[in-house]
Amino acid sequence: MLASLNWLSELAAIPEDPDRVAAALTARGLTVDAIDRETVPGDVVLDVDVPANRPDCLGHLGLAREIAAAFSHPLSPAPATPIGEGAPVGDEIEIEIDDPELCTRYVARIVRGVRVGPSPEPVRRRLEACGLRSINNVVDASNLVLLGLGQPVHFFDLERVRGRRIVVRRPRAPERVFRTLDGIDRTLEADTLLIADGEGPSALAGIMGGADSEIGDTTRDVLIEAAWFDPRSIRRTARRLGLSTDASQRFERGADPEAPPRAQDMAVRLLVELAGGTPAPGRIDVHPRPRVPATVVLRPQRARLLMGFDPGRETMVEALRAVGIECADAAGGAISATAPSWRVDLVREADLVEEVARHVGYDRVPARLPVTGAAPDEGTTRPLADRARDLLAGVGFHEAVCYSMLQAGADDGFVPRDARAPATIANPISEQLAVLRRTLAPGLLAAVDLNLRRGVRDVRLFEVGRAFLTRGSGALPDEPYRVALAWSGAGEPRHWSRPVREVDVFDLAGVVEIALRTLAPGFALQRGIPSLAALHPGRSASWETDGRLVAWCGALHPEVRARLDLPAEVLLAEIDLDALEAAAPPAPAYAAIPRVPASARDLALVLGPGTPWGALLDRLRRVDPPAPVSFEIVDRYAGPPLADGEVSLTVRVILQPLERTLTDERTEAYRRLLVDVVEASDGVRLRA
Amino acid sequence: MLDRLERLEREISAALEAAAGDPAAVDAVRVRFLGRKGELTALAKGLAALSAAERPATGKAINELKARATAAIAEAGERAAAAARRAELLRDRVDVTLPPRAPWSGSLHPVSLVRRELERIFRALGYSVETGPEVEDDFHNFQALNLPPDHPARDATDTFYLDDGLLLRTHTSPVQIRTMEARRPPIRMVCPGRVYRRDWDATHLPMFHQLEALVVDEGVSMADLKGTMSAVWRRFFGEDVRIRLRPGYFPFVEPGAEYDVTCRACHGSGCRVCKGSGWIELGGAGMVHPAVFEAVGIDPERYTGFAFGLGIDRIALTRYGIDDLRLMPENDVRFLGQFPS
Repeated sequence: MLASLNWLSELAAIPEDPDRVAAALTARGLTVDAIDRETVPGDVVLDVDVPANRPDCLGHLGLAREIAAAFSHPLSPAPATPIGEGAPVGDEIEIEIDDPELCTRYVARIVRGVRVGPSPEPVRRRLEACGLRSINNVVDASNLVLLGLGQPVHFFDLERVRGRRIVVRRPRAPERVFRTLDGIDRTLEADTLLIADGEGPSALAGIMGGADSEIGDTTRDVLIEAAWFDPRSIRRTARRLGLSTDASQRFERGADPEAPPRAQDMAVRLLVELAGGTPAPGRIDVHPRPRVPATVVLRPQRARLLMGFDPGRETMVEALRAVGIECADAAGGAISATAPSWRVDLVREADLVEEVARHVGYDRVPARLPVTGAAPDEGTTRPLADRARDLLAGVGFHEAVCYSMLQAGADDGFVPRDARAPATIANPISEQLAVLRRTLAPGLLAAVDLNLRRGVRDVRLFEVGRAFLTRGSGALPDEPYRVALAWSGAGEPRHWSRPVREVDVFDLAGVVEIALRTLAPGFALQRGIPSLAALHPGRSASWETDGRLVAWCGALHPEVRARLDLPAEVLLAEIDLDALEAAAPPAPAYAAIPRVPASARDLALVLGPGTPWGALLDRLRRVDPPAPVSFEIVDRYAGPPLADGEVSLTVRVILQPLERTLTDERTEAYRRLLVDVVEASDGVRLRA
Repeated sequence: MLDRLERLEREISAALEAAAGDPAAVDAVRVRFLGRKGELTALAKGLAALSAAERPATGKAINELKARATAAIAEAGERAAAAARRAELLRDRVDVTLPPRAPWSGSLHPVSLVRRELERIFRALGYSVETGPEVEDDFHNFQALNLPPDHPARDATDTFYLDDGLLLRTHTSPVQIRTMEARRPPIRMVCPGRVYRRDWDATHLPMFHQLEALVVDEGVSMADLKGTMSAVWRRFFGEDVRIRLRPGYFPFVEPGAEYDVTCRACHGSGCRVCKGSGWIELGGAGMVHPAVFEAVGIDPERYTGFAFGLGIDRIALTRYGIDDLRLMPENDVRFLGQFPS
């Protein structure tokens, strides 16, 4: 709300220093965002941030009341209103409220013989100060009322009110479309509140007038409407039509039910002054649901408890009276408070406590650190999430934060084919952010893409966050915590001492394994191959437990890479932290370290095309060893003289007894059993 | 004779000095003075020619010189050998000013760093850290927070709705509701997390991070709120920071407030960062509205509570002097790498 300091000073005796006025308003919760001394010569404009619960301050009078309260100055009395002459209003027009729930009051007056023309310079400047443009003297008069009192008024050209009758009602069956004065056809719903005349709709109540009843250059007689409309009804209609006006903004926050006559008087005054009109005597005031002032009891001890200090009962009463609240004594020293009609926000005791607090000043509240013990609860955070962050940052990854929303389809290749459709945002802000992610991979992939395009060669990113898996039927989705990794560029730090080696799937799989082993030690995992369409089928791996996917990792499918036009290879991985969290790891237990040397034997193997080492390893492990055993691959070779697809592996079998050195015989016997296994296996042979 | 001895000692010193660092030259000095045909040896042989009166004193002087010379030559020999060994190693030296072979080091996002520091401060004050769903229902995100349908304050939070009537939480306050539903007072908690608003420009992102603190107990007042905020922000920003509360409107608190801290750039004197006011607005605060307690079944007559919130992203901007909010979700590693963990 833009407020003119000149205007405010007509309404109350206020300090001349704009900074003091601004500071007082800010201290009372009406934050002044800017003080503009330049736009309007001879005036100072305050840009006041009026909170949603203070519609009374969407007019100069409301702000003047606050300033007057702050400085304990009186408000200036309102000027007298001409009584009028000629035929009384009641002879000219008939008013009917069909829907007293949505319109509790409708007040009408008439001003005859106006001459539509330009407004005088001071009026134009005043409107300009408030951010409005002058239209003509009659329209300007209605805007001045709105800006002055915060109560919208609406002017009809009396000539165009058909049947000399105004009805406040909902649409009738054939009334589907109504053209507002901005020339747009608006679709009416059954609960849209209308102002109709004898023949049909002439305004959207509280929002905008109709094109047919608008004030024009030839308007002579003006019907002034001032009313109270139900905030919810106005808000619903305004939102549905996407039509927010100065009037609707005020009605939907709750207008002052006692303001209509006052607003109308001001409109009459202005039409007389600016447009040379003559008011008709009297007014029609249809008031089917008069306001019953509510009384709220304030217990001084409650105010003391909430504020943390005691300003004293007298100060409390003074604070309430300063903003127009009537105070009376209630039982037990309590204060019986009756709020003025414009303070629609004062409904509970706590509201009154705030009135007291802001009047004495929030800076009077002392600061006291409450005495507390240990946290009452462990909390509900995922402890693994922060551990994963530290671990991955420690091995060279940079933490990214990606949007939880993706372009539709962006994650299709990274979820199982039978995954449920993603949750869709009904009102996305961009097509890029239209669905909720079911995996974190696409966000990191986009981040890698951005880095590569900016010329960054080595990109290692991770993100810890949630995926969103719908469950349907309005249930909240599952939100599992995931860790995703992305890697592009060199596989080890670039250094002058060695050639650059590009990252491959073994690099990223290694990081995944370190993460799994550190975050869930002792967790039994089976290796597999993920069936995710966006991954290279020959360069990807998965880790599962009891058929549940715990982690996957792999190179981007070459076709996907080509489609995204990525300038380099990208490897991606994802770990399901919730799966790890569910398998509470055993506390680490000490195992004795060996006291005797190990013995080793090498097996020289040739694996046929498509034979995985892991499968053979599983079979080798089934042979009962004479001591704890480990298998270390010390060499891998492919090429002539081996056949195409064959791979030669040298496997060092290390037997590490704890207490007693193994005899050569026992080691050799074990080796022979392993050789038997190799010879009995398809697709594997011993190297000659 | 004694003169000769003195001269000889000077000659030995000079010769050792000249031979410094060279084991062979030091050995030559030894031969020249102490060898079988050495100059000192020769002097000793000449003792016989001296008178009996002169002989004992001169003999003693010769022997003493011999001892000193032997020690000096041995020491010079050690030094020369060490120097030679060092020279040998230096021939095999590498240029240690070349870049070393360092393992990679990563980084944490500034949002994580700020969140963790705040969590640490709050945990030390006895708060638990809570989380809740990011997809919420209308009850937890709005209604339980005294924001019934058609409430005008809903305009202030442009909400993303999902197709099935659910929504993306617009603040972390629903975690307060869920915690109060699950637990009885006393409650001291913070809830950090992602929140979503339909707003995207140079100073707003459609997704950002909040942290809110909630205390519910008997006798909790605005003074506790002020003292807690002051303790938290002093630990976070430094002892010189000051807190200012202004009346403010949030439907879930009454009395409600907005709060500022003294500008970290100018320490309150007014600058470009704080637009001359000396204050930076951090967020909303207030006493829990009785309607909120009623929604979660806590007796507002017996219990009172305070809450305050903050935007983690904005505080990260302040803390690290980041001048463009849009860097935060972009994930350029040249930005991310500036925040080593």
